[in-house]
Amino acid sequence: MKNTIKVERAIKDYTQEDLAKLVKVSRQTINAIEKRKYVPSTALAMKIAYIFGKKVDDIFTLEDTDWD
Amino acid sequence: MKTNFLFPYKFKRAGWIVFIPAAILGSFYLFFDYTPDFLHLQSPFIDSESMFSATNNNLIDEISGVFSIIGLLMIAFSKEKNEDEFISKIRLESLLWATYINYIIVLFGIIFVYGSAFFYVLIFNLFTILLFFIIRFNLVLHNLKKEER
Repeated sequence: MKNTIKVERAIKDYTQEDLAKLVKVSRQTINAIEKRKYVPSTALAMKIAYIFGKKVDDIFTLEDTDWD
Repeated sequence: MKTNFLFPYKFKRAGWIVFIPAAILGSFYLFFDYTPDFLHLQSPFIDSESMFSATNNNLIDEISGVFSIIGLLMIAFSKEKNEDEFISKIRLESLLWATYINYIIVLFGIIFVYGSAFFYVLIFNLFTILLFFIIRFNLVLHNLKKEER
């Protein structure tokens, strides 16, 4: 799953740590999501979208491998 | 909503405090046959020769075994400071991994170790699954923390 968290973070000038605190997860989790090593739960995806004031769809998009 | 059956974070350090002395005591017993006099007891527990009768027993193996396992459980299954869904996933993966490794070693033991030496395989096996889990889980967490931002 692709995501634009890094871009959104840059716009808001948040570090991974800042975002992690806002959505109450560890910094490593945000890092793993950005590197596409981990797909967050729906709840976490919605929290991240909420922080950036966007819809989940604007931040997370499916890619072909998600259908395998 | 959150039920993850884990101990509070503080239990992790307490686990080490329980485990280390118990492991040292247990190693002394296993490798040097260390049986301190003050732990001798007429215990009313089951013994292979005479069921349910009083037997002469040294408590060192019971004490070290019980506290090693309690300590390891506390170390293995205490929450991380920042327990979240990703860490839970790593936790479950590590548990699966540890179970596989553990049973691979048991299989090797069954096939290649005979007689009283096999008894040692079984004794270590009481602790290895938790030990492998702790090592693997913490290695992965350590690598994640080290990773560049």
